[in-house]
Amino acid sequence: MNVLIVEDETGLAKEIASFLKAENFLCDLAFTGIEASEKIAVNLYDFILLDLGLPDYNGLDLIREAKKAGSEASFIIITARGAVEDKVKGLDLGADDYLAKPFALVELLSRINAVSRRKFNVKIQDIVLGDFIMQNQSRKLFCEGNEVDLTKKEYDLLHYLVLNRNKVLTRHQLYEHIWGNILDDQYDSNFIDVHIKNLRKKLNFHSPSPWLETVRGVGYRVSAG
Amino acid sequence: MIRLKTKLALFNLLSKLVFSALFLLFLPWIVERVNLRQVDNDLIQKRENTIDLIGKIGIEPFIYSDTSGTFGSYNILKEEFISLERTGISEELNYIDITGRIIEGEEITYRVINYTFMVDGQKYLLEIGKSLASIQYARRNINRIILVFLGFIILITLVTDLQYTRIILFPLKKISGKLKEISSPLTFDMTPVKTNTSDFVSLDNALRDLMVQIDESFRKEKDITVNISHELLTPVSVLRSKLENMLLKENIDPDTANKVEESLKTLHRLQSLINSLLLIARIESHQYLRDESFSVQVLLQEIIEELNPIAEDKEVILTGEFMKDHQFIKANRALVFSMFYNVVNNAIRNTLANGKVVVRTLPEHGNFKISISDTGNGMSEAQVSTLFTRFKTKRGDDGDGTGIGLAIAKVIADFHKIKISVTSEPGKGTIFSFIFPESSL
Repeated sequence: MNVLIVEDETGLAKEIASFLKAENFLCDLAFTGIEASEKIAVNLYDFILLDLGLPDYNGLDLIREAKKAGSEASFIIITARGAVEDKVKGLDLGADDYLAKPFALVELLSRINAVSRRKFNVKIQDIVLGDFIMQNQSRKLFCEGNEVDLTKKEYDLLHYLVLNRNKVLTRHQLYEHIWGNILDDQYDSNFIDVHIKNLRKKLNFHSPSPWLETVRGVGYRVSAG
Repeated sequence: MIRLKTKLALFNLLSKLVFSALFLLFLPWIVERVNLRQVDNDLIQKRENTIDLIGKIGIEPFIYSDTSGTFGSYNILKEEFISLERTGISEELNYIDITGRIIEGEEITYRVINYTFMVDGQKYLLEIGKSLASIQYARRNINRIILVFLGFIILITLVTDLQYTRIILFPLKKISGKLKEISSPLTFDMTPVKTNTSDFVSLDNALRDLMVQIDESFRKEKDITVNISHELLTPVSVLRSKLENMLLKENIDPDTANKVEESLKTLHRLQSLINSLLLIARIESHQYLRDESFSVQVLLQEIIEELNPIAEDKEVILTGEFMKDHQFIKANRALVFSMFYNVVNNAIRNTLANGKVVVRTLPEHGNFKISISDTGNGMSEAQVSTLFTRFKTKRGDDGDGTGIGLAIAKVIADFHKIKISVTSEPGKGTIFSFIFPESSL
């Protein structure tokens, strides 16, 4: 998939590009609004990651231009302004999602994947984890036909780890994804540990779950094929 | 408190009543004076005529020298009379007074001129009288007419005054309406008030200037908030991405990974600090809407459900006791959620194993109240007094929070006009109370 990263902060743009390249995306960079405008006019992109705070351009105008030119690219707005009205305006103009800086790269990836699933109407396949099967349609986890009774938060936590399988996720990345930003101050590494502990207890009651790993000093990882 | 319109109307009514009373009191008296003066002039004229007549034809035709030496005459309706008689009194008389006379058995009040003069060495007394009955009638009639007329005038002017003051004070009503809304710059009404009263125009202009200023400083504050957030969060964002990418490298050794994660943790603290300050600034500059309506009990149940695993892990019993539900209107649900979440979470963190945290809803003096009590260590009075001060709080020993959670709770409470109070007893526990505004009931 082709991604255009429109971001005047070159350091950030390069980090995003290097992360997405590792995920097999083709990345193009634009550091100014004019550059972005030219690139959008010439190339076809699947995704445009757009920083609204460009020095030379109102980021929202880029969305208007692209939509007018018939571009089918999906827009994900990334901004540090975080004002509610920007978000509403951006989504009104047809942006597909909105991420406030600073965001986790894995969160960006999961948003991109979610948008493209929505766009192409792709359902997540059921995922096999050892003896367990994660049914994404019903949002339920089964072990040899028996349902594992998970709370909504526990399911979300496991689901996020599974979507990013084979990557170590830090406690903060997990917390941010599940609890959002408004409770930021109460971020408590203990929160995630408690939920993982409960989750493990429930899993192990049915069957061992070696695929849910604790990576010492870093975070958690689901390793599965 | 009385409204200006009412005051003006009352004053108008009062001044009219006083004026009318004075009018009623003095006008008849003045009219009577004028009438008497006219009667007196008339009597004097008649006296002159009589004296002239006596000078021409002599006194004999009037005086019958035989008996009493008296002349008397009155007209049929007894409105006037004249009498002439010899008199023995020595002094000269020339005065006018009011006396009652009995004529044919009927007492009539007359205005009488008394006048003495000498003819042929004999002194005579001339009396000419005029009945006052007509004057008294006139007075009574005038009183009546005045009374009816004044009553009518008062009524009409009262109605017109009320209407008129209502119309001319209407701009003032609009201006004071604008003033009431001055604390919410988003709803400023900048349209000038229509009036040709110069005082109101200048008042309205001053008010609009003020609104422009408030609006400007509000916008500036908002801009500063936005700019600071952008300036601070962008470098944090760059650092974060770099560190996260490092952590994703496949060949990273565990020791380095650990150090990178620790750097990320520190960065997250910085991030959450900036976000907390932004949140406070945004709430204080009213950038959040209060347009939701929701059940507080449902919200508290959600919070309890969410925090229960944490409480269980600490072996703290977290329960809700709901005596009363409350539909909170004109509120921001996410903010109110955050506020209670922070306080309940704080209570759990400060409670030891086997302790209790209870969330209660109860009515108090007609207001809705929520109390969150814990059986934790409690605090001294000095600690309670700085509880909501930014960065001064560090209740818990697990140092992940930035010590700003309760300050945020306080700002959110203020934003919703909820009163927070804290009572704490060292060694026994702490109770946070939230009293909801009456207007939200």
